[in-house]
Amino acid sequence: MTDFIIETNGLTKSFKRQPALRGLDLRVPKGSIFGFLGRNGAGKTTTIKTLMGLLHPDSGSARVFGVPVADADRSIEIRQRIGFVTEDKELYPYMTVEQIVRFTQPFFPKWRDDLERRYVKMFELPPKRKIADLSKGMRSKLMLLLAISRGADLLILDEPTDGLDPAATEDVLRELVAIAASSGTTMFFSSHQLAEVELIADHIGIIDQGKMIVAGSLDDMKAQYQRLQVVFANGVELPARWVEGVEYVRREGRVVSILASRNVDAIVEQARSLPGTAVERFPVTLKEIFLEHVRNN
Amino acid sequence: MLWYKGWLETRFRLLFLLGFPVFLVVFLHSVGVKPPPPGSPPLSGLPIMLTPFTVVACAMLAGAGINTQPAFQAAKGLHGSTLFTLSLPVSRFKLLLVRASVGWIEMTGLIGALCVGLWLLLPMVQATMKVGEIVEFAGTMVFCASGFYFLSVLLGTLLDDQWRIWGSMIAFGALELASSFLHLPGSVDIVRAMETAPPLIAHTMPWTTMAFSVGLAAILFCAALKIARTREY
Repeated sequence: MTDFIIETNGLTKSFKRQPALRGLDLRVPKGSIFGFLGRNGAGKTTTIKTLMGLLHPDSGSARVFGVPVADADRSIEIRQRIGFVTEDKELYPYMTVEQIVRFTQPFFPKWRDDLERRYVKMFELPPKRKIADLSKGMRSKLMLLLAISRGADLLILDEPTDGLDPAATEDVLRELVAIAASSGTTMFFSSHQLAEVELIADHIGIIDQGKMIVAGSLDDMKAQYQRLQVVFANGVELPARWVEGVEYVRREGRVVSILASRNVDAIVEQARSLPGTAVERFPVTLKEIFLEHVRNN
Repeated sequence: MLWYKGWLETRFRLLFLLGFPVFLVVFLHSVGVKPPPPGSPPLSGLPIMLTPFTVVACAMLAGAGINTQPAFQAAKGLHGSTLFTLSLPVSRFKLLLVRASVGWIEMTGLIGALCVGLWLLLPMVQATMKVGEIVEFAGTMVFCASGFYFLSVLLGTLLDDQWRIWGSMIAFGALELASSFLHLPGSVDIVRAMETAPPLIAHTMPWTTMAFSVGLAAILFCAALKIARTREY
């Protein structure tokens, strides 16, 4: 059994000669809550669809639970262990809430009746109401219920809190963490809400232009990344080459802002070696890491 | 549960289509139908009327296969409930097979209902028909319509629902024209077997045409399965 629930190597996919994935390498550790971040069109949904067997990669490989997703026969085995929330939250409009729950249940032998009852009540889903008459927020909640109640080993959630109000978002995030903690379910979710991701994720992957540009443990990332604010004396020139680990340098007059991903002490030393220089270190947020990487990619 | 889903998807279309024979019987019964002039075969116009209706029924009941979205959503890049369906641990083969079977069974039931309606109309035109003859007519319609039905199933794997229905109707129009102007061999002329030479009129079963239609249906369904297995969503 692999330590990675999801593993892709050199995954590529193009649509009408327009590359969507350019050699994506992704590793999602077992039991992790993995936040998959990227700008619009970065390749998040293409990645998720490839993992679900909805798209066929042009090259490279993708495995979920160690099973190749390209293997159509074994993909059923994968899907039996996955709870999936789609980006558009579309369900059968002609069914009622109760009907779609009863429809979905028999496909999943590990269906959790207790979770089903809990979320019907918690999300205040009206059992007799047609899905066509539900708001997008209610459909999001229903889709989460259907995904979580599957008793899945892996939840793949594409913008799971899209359409939810802040209170519902808070409830959902809390529940996701509780599920991961109690049952060891791995979660792979994409979101534009960086604050949400920072709140619950323990691993992060940032995709841009179809490539993974940053990936790893969020704690490690926060420990490694620091922002340095360097104030130079008048007339001092910036070094032509910085120590390895400087992700970007932005200068405004005498003040230089540096994002460092490693070797922070060495970078500080280099800055202090210049005459009349003051250096301050600041922790960085996930938002800063994300924005600087995608802006500078 | 896939059968249940198929039923929920088609039940209103089926009810709408079932309303037609009921309306026909009630309407003709209320206005009264004159017997045909001496020498002309009784009920000769009915198959010509029933065939387009059967083809429309095929197009409406065949469904969109795995797709469930209306065309306007697909144009916006949305996928309807298709992604949810494909996230279920079921092969695409089974999804398409069950959905196609639901529609085919409903189509068969609808043709049966039409034939019962026809049976009820017979006394009004002073005609009689043995049970065997009506069963032969129903069988001919079911087997010949299967070709159209599975053409619609195939189109459903390629096109959105709205375009699938139009595509089916255009295909029927083309076959109707071909039947009228190209003097197709009887064994492949499905339209003729349904409209002008069913057992009701020709007093013989169009076995070769029925076999051709069933063979065509099998080929079209295999093509639909192959496309569904490899298609991206």
